[in-house]
Amino acid sequence: MLQVNDLHKKFKTTTAVNGVNLYLDQGESVGLLGPNGAGKSTTISMISTLLQPTSGDIRFKGGDVFKKPDVIRPVLGVVPQEIALYEELTAYENMHFFGKTYGLSGEKLKNKIDEVLELVGLTDRKKERVKNYSGGMKRRINIAVSLMHEPELLIMDEPTVGIDPQSRSHILEMVRELNRKKGMSILYTSHYMEEVERLCDRVYIMDHGQIIASGTKEELKSILSSEDTILIEVHQKSEQFIDQLNEHSLVQQIAEVDTGYKVIVSKGADVFADIFEIANASQVKVKGVHVQTPTLEDVFLHLTGRKLRD
Amino acid sequence: MWSVFNLQWLRLKREPILVLSFIAMTILFVLFIGGTQGEQTITVQTFSDQLTESELDEWVDDLNNTSGFEFHVSDRETIENQLKLSQISYALELNYLDYHYLVGQDSFFINAVNQHVEQVYRTKLRISEIAEQFPDRSIELKDYITIELESLANSVSSSDEGGAHIVSGMTLYFVLYTILFGMMNIAVEKRTGTWDRLIISPLKKSNIYVGQLLHYFSLGVLQIGICFIVFDQFLNYNFGDQYLSIIVTVMAFVFAAVALGMLLIGIVRSPQQLQSIIPIVSTAFAMLGGAFWPVDLVTNKFLQLLAKITPVYYGTEALKDAMLYNAGVGDLLQPISILLLMGVLFMGIGLNLMERTK
Repeated sequence: MLQVNDLHKKFKTTTAVNGVNLYLDQGESVGLLGPNGAGKSTTISMISTLLQPTSGDIRFKGGDVFKKPDVIRPVLGVVPQEIALYEELTAYENMHFFGKTYGLSGEKLKNKIDEVLELVGLTDRKKERVKNYSGGMKRRINIAVSLMHEPELLIMDEPTVGIDPQSRSHILEMVRELNRKKGMSILYTSHYMEEVERLCDRVYIMDHGQIIASGTKEELKSILSSEDTILIEVHQKSEQFIDQLNEHSLVQQIAEVDTGYKVIVSKGADVFADIFEIANASQVKVKGVHVQTPTLEDVFLHLTGRKLRD
Repeated sequence: MWSVFNLQWLRLKREPILVLSFIAMTILFVLFIGGTQGEQTITVQTFSDQLTESELDEWVDDLNNTSGFEFHVSDRETIENQLKLSQISYALELNYLDYHYLVGQDSFFINAVNQHVEQVYRTKLRISEIAEQFPDRSIELKDYITIELESLANSVSSSDEGGAHIVSGMTLYFVLYTILFGMMNIAVEKRTGTWDRLIISPLKKSNIYVGQLLHYFSLGVLQIGICFIVFDQFLNYNFGDQYLSIIVTVMAFVFAAVALGMLLIGIVRSPQQLQSIIPIVSTAFAMLGGAFWPVDLVTNKFLQLLAKITPVYYGTEALKDAMLYNAGVGDLLQPISILLLMGVLFMGIGLNLMERTK
């Protein structure tokens, strides 16, 4: 359905996207994972025909989207990271306007608005101005507007940034429903690992403008089949502790987490005693040490040496 | 195109404060500036130690024959006290063969008073001299023969000219504000992403631009229309009868203003930058272009040259010509063409910059 080949984008001296290749099949839900500045939004802008690539091509159902943007535009829905709505207007008016831009009118338009409002759970608030909505409600209308024309391909660029857990859960459930029940193809970017794990069949991990790994969640996690992830919970953090852990021959990566440190070590390595010894020497009180099943976050840490939200 | 056009009107309907306040400010400024620019009367306290009361009254009557001056009879003691207390700046002492001023402090008006008094004195002394040449007969001045030179320019009173100037200048100044501030929405749309939503929709880019620009164009024309109707119907300003010339000039000016908006959006990088640049550009264009005072009053050649690169100058001058001198569209072809040319130029550069900075 969608094929991106050797995509490059340079802005004067910066290379934002450097040779990205990806594909998306009909009805698939694909995640594009990466930290801020990885090049996800630039890639999405190019797929959406908003930005011309420096080189490479993007094909939708075989058609070149830059030579003929109309091959993708009428069936493409984009949920931007920003709240791209007219905030002085009501939710209904926003949906009415954007529905009209896709050629909907009359009863069909009204019915579609009601259907989408029902889907995002804002039927009761449709007559309120968007500027009076909470952050979560704005996000939901931001998505609703993109669904007015029943797109075949929905691109969502960090659609849950800065919202409450309840709205986030509602949005994720809605996306899942659109994919599973309506067969909508979804390209979902986020730096929230758990969202991608929950929603996507396949994942592309992006960093510094390049795809550094791709595959199903299981395939990606298998990258860590020869490593263990150990979570060390501590009372207070210490630079000296990190430095000494880093010097340990079996430790491959370390990242700070809220409660302490996450350490990736060679599988089966007996490092527990060493961890307590280093903690003692650094005067760090250890609350607990746990071996965890690897997550995509751990895969990212393993591949880049950084956390997704660094 | 029409969906974009209608959307902008709907947005304006929801938040009309900006436009309404600029309409109100246009009317207020015209009332204020127009009111203070009305014809002034200069009051002069007059006394004499030589002339009798009736002779002094006769002189004062003659001096009061011209509008713009009001001479009042008083006495030396009162006048000296008023001068000491700075209640008046100067006073006029009349004698048989000459006159003097008692000056307490410098006054801007004394030259004008002096010109007028000198003229009246000369006329009266000339009549006295003629009378002395004919001692047997009594010479009485029965009637004046007045020769009036009339030209198109002279047929317009200074108050009409001032009124037309302030009405056209202020209206164009504030409509420039409305259009430029209104067009800030385009910059905001580009920032918030609604512009991108439109771009990736099946709408043609040209339709999006035309829908937006047509909205700001019609908004500008509407604002000027409302102001002119208020000035014409309720404040009795004279608009002449060349309505077609006025309409064409207004449309050409608004087109140039909308194009200027596009140019500014193309130049700046953010809505915040645009917000700070709009008052600077609008006020500078209005001041240079003669919205506040006629450009003829400016003596500096460079400033006069700068005036001619602002749309406000051509708009104001063309409107004044249409209102005061009944200039038809043909007579205004030059300023109208320049406005249209400016519009095309600004629009071309603005669109180009906007597309490049995308």
